[in-house]
Amino acid sequence: MNPFNVAVAVARKDLRSEWRTREMVPALAQFIILALLIANFGFQIDSHNAPSIAPGILWLALVFAGLVAFGRTFAAERDQASLEAMLLTPASPVAIFAGKAIAASLLLIVCEAVMLPALSLFFGTPLGADMVAAVLLATVGMAALGCLFAALVARVRARELLLPLLTLPLWIPFIIAGGQAVQSAMGLPGSYPEAIGLLIDFDILFVVLTSLAARFVLDE
Amino acid sequence: MNKYEKAATGAVALMLVAGAAIFFFAPTDYLQGPVQRIFYLHVSSAIAAYGCFAVVLVGGIIYLRTESPVADRFARAGALVGLVFTTVTLVMGMLWAKPIWGTFWTWDARLTSTLVLWMIYAGYLLVRRLSDPGRQSARLAAVVGIFGFIDVPVVHFSVTWWRTQHPGPIIVNDALPPQMLATFLFTLACTLVLAAVLIGIRYRIETALDARLNVSEPAKVIAAKREAEPAR
Repeated sequence: MNPFNVAVAVARKDLRSEWRTREMVPALAQFIILALLIANFGFQIDSHNAPSIAPGILWLALVFAGLVAFGRTFAAERDQASLEAMLLTPASPVAIFAGKAIAASLLLIVCEAVMLPALSLFFGTPLGADMVAAVLLATVGMAALGCLFAALVARVRARELLLPLLTLPLWIPFIIAGGQAVQSAMGLPGSYPEAIGLLIDFDILFVVLTSLAARFVLDE
Repeated sequence: MNKYEKAATGAVALMLVAGAAIFFFAPTDYLQGPVQRIFYLHVSSAIAAYGCFAVVLVGGIIYLRTESPVADRFARAGALVGLVFTTVTLVMGMLWAKPIWGTFWTWDARLTSTLVLWMIYAGYLLVRRLSDPGRQSARLAAVVGIFGFIDVPVVHFSVTWWRTQHPGPIIVNDALPPQMLATFLFTLACTLVLAAVLIGIRYRIETALDARLNVSEPAKVIAAKREAEPAR
């Protein structure tokens, strides 16, 4: 079987089940709006300091939404014990893993489509293609790492505790480069092209590493 | 005295000699004064910590390839000892930074990446505590150990690119006077011996723990039970 077709089939299956149940995306979108609402009370935001506070709010909301999204990636499979069935097929585990990662990151991207306009609406910050590009590039690498560890902790008892503890330190490079890119997109000092270049480097590095490690995650 | 007690006594004695060298042999720094003496143990324990985490990395890679319980035990021992040395490095660095920089903490590249290092291996030890001992837990921990080791230079590089103020490596471009260099190299050697002895002792403890839990063989039974649990 062509691994690419397997990945696409698994991703389509996950997206179709999400389309039929409509569980994750509304919940995550509401979670993100709530995070913005809480940030509004936590900071004194006016038109002067909004560009220096809004990027931090964006990344905090995105990181925690991401943890919820990737933590749920394997929940349905675990509940139905269907992961074992998928692994019994001749499809390669790496392709199955890639499919699940693609579906999870697409769901997160849909939530980002809610978050970025909401951020701009509530805090009056600019919303441009440069900001969208930075967030999308960070999502690629974060999805690879997030899904890898979600798969690893799927069968551990304390998975809700362990997933953030293991994933957050590994996401820091993406937050550093992505944070810098969003800050400069909002008019703060810093080099935007350098930050984007760094994000692309990190994406390549961690997607390659994750695909090497995925072999040890799903074969039982 | 058994061989572990002998090794421990020897390592402690060496550390005491290193302490004497730091306080009585090495000259006082002209600019920083006595505070500079923190440097010897601070840098030595940082290097020892990297050494311990290299043991975790190699142990993890070997475990993923061969599932050898010996490699896994070495990785566990290395993570614990490395975390102790990282804590020493962070605390001593903060004590030095207060009089010299005027603040205990600043978000500089080395400080940030050392804190991330600490977080990753604290997470590694939590993985071992929160998951049932056996194959699943060891694999998860091995992947954490490998990704953690790669993540730290990446974090370091990205913060350096962003902003930094930590003093550069002064040992390599021989700006250190010979007496200070001799003290540093001696302290480094003693600290590495101490780290090796601690890993050896911890390895013995891990072996005893494994024997008590009876998981010297990959525990597939536990994983199978887990999957049969009703859906939650």
